[in-house]
Amino acid sequence: MGCDIVTVSTDTQFVHLAWKKSEKELAHVKYAMAADPTGTVSRTFGVYDEGTGLALRGVFIINPEGKLLNAEINYYNLGRNVDELLRKFKANIYMARKTNEVCPAKWKDEGDKTLVNPGAKMVGKVHEALQA
Amino acid sequence: MSEACCGLKLGAKVPDFEMATYDPTKDDFGKFSMQEQIKNKRWTILFFYPADFTFV
Repeated sequence: MGCDIVTVSTDTQFVHLAWKKSEKELAHVKYAMAADPTGTVSRTFGVYDEGTGLALRGVFIINPEGKLLNAEINYYNLGRNVDELLRKFKANIYMARKTNEVCPAKWKDEGDKTLVNPGAKMVGKVHEALQA
Repeated sequence: MSEACCGLKLGAKVPDFEMATYDPTKDDFGKFSMQEQIKNKRWTILFFYPADFTFV
C-alpha cells in the first residue's frame, strides 16, 4: 500500500526550494516539502506555536480513509526517533490487514509476536501471551 | 476548519486541507491535498518541523 511522507513547516515552498538546493544533507530528499505559512494546517494538528509562528515537531500517521491513527509532538529541543516512526507505521499497515490482531510495545516487524484481540481468556495471562 | 485550534482526536477523520509544496523529485512546485490522498487510497505521514535552515 502506498504512502506519502510530507514534511511541513511555516516556511513557503520557495524557501523549501532554496533550502533543498543549498543544503547538501538534503541532496537525497524525495518527499514533498509542504508550505503552511498561515499556520492553518499546523493549528489543525495542534502543533502551531502562536508565540513564535513556528510548528512544533509533530508527526501524524493518517490511514487511506483519512483517519488519524498516531500523533506524536515533541518540543523544539527534542528530535524524533525515525525507527520508532517506522515501527508505528509498519504496525499500522499490518493491523490494517489483520484487524483481529494488535501489536504490543516490543513489536518491530512482520513475524513478531502479536496479540489476538484481548478477550476474557487473556485476563490475568498477559505476561504469558507476551512471551515469544 | 472552524475546529482548528486544539488538535485532532485519534481515530477522527482529518478535515480536508491543501498545501502548496516543493517536490524535489520533479524539481517543481505542486500541491498536497488530503482529499486526493483519500481518493487515491494513500497513507500519509505528516512531519512538522519548526523551520528550514535549521536541523532536526
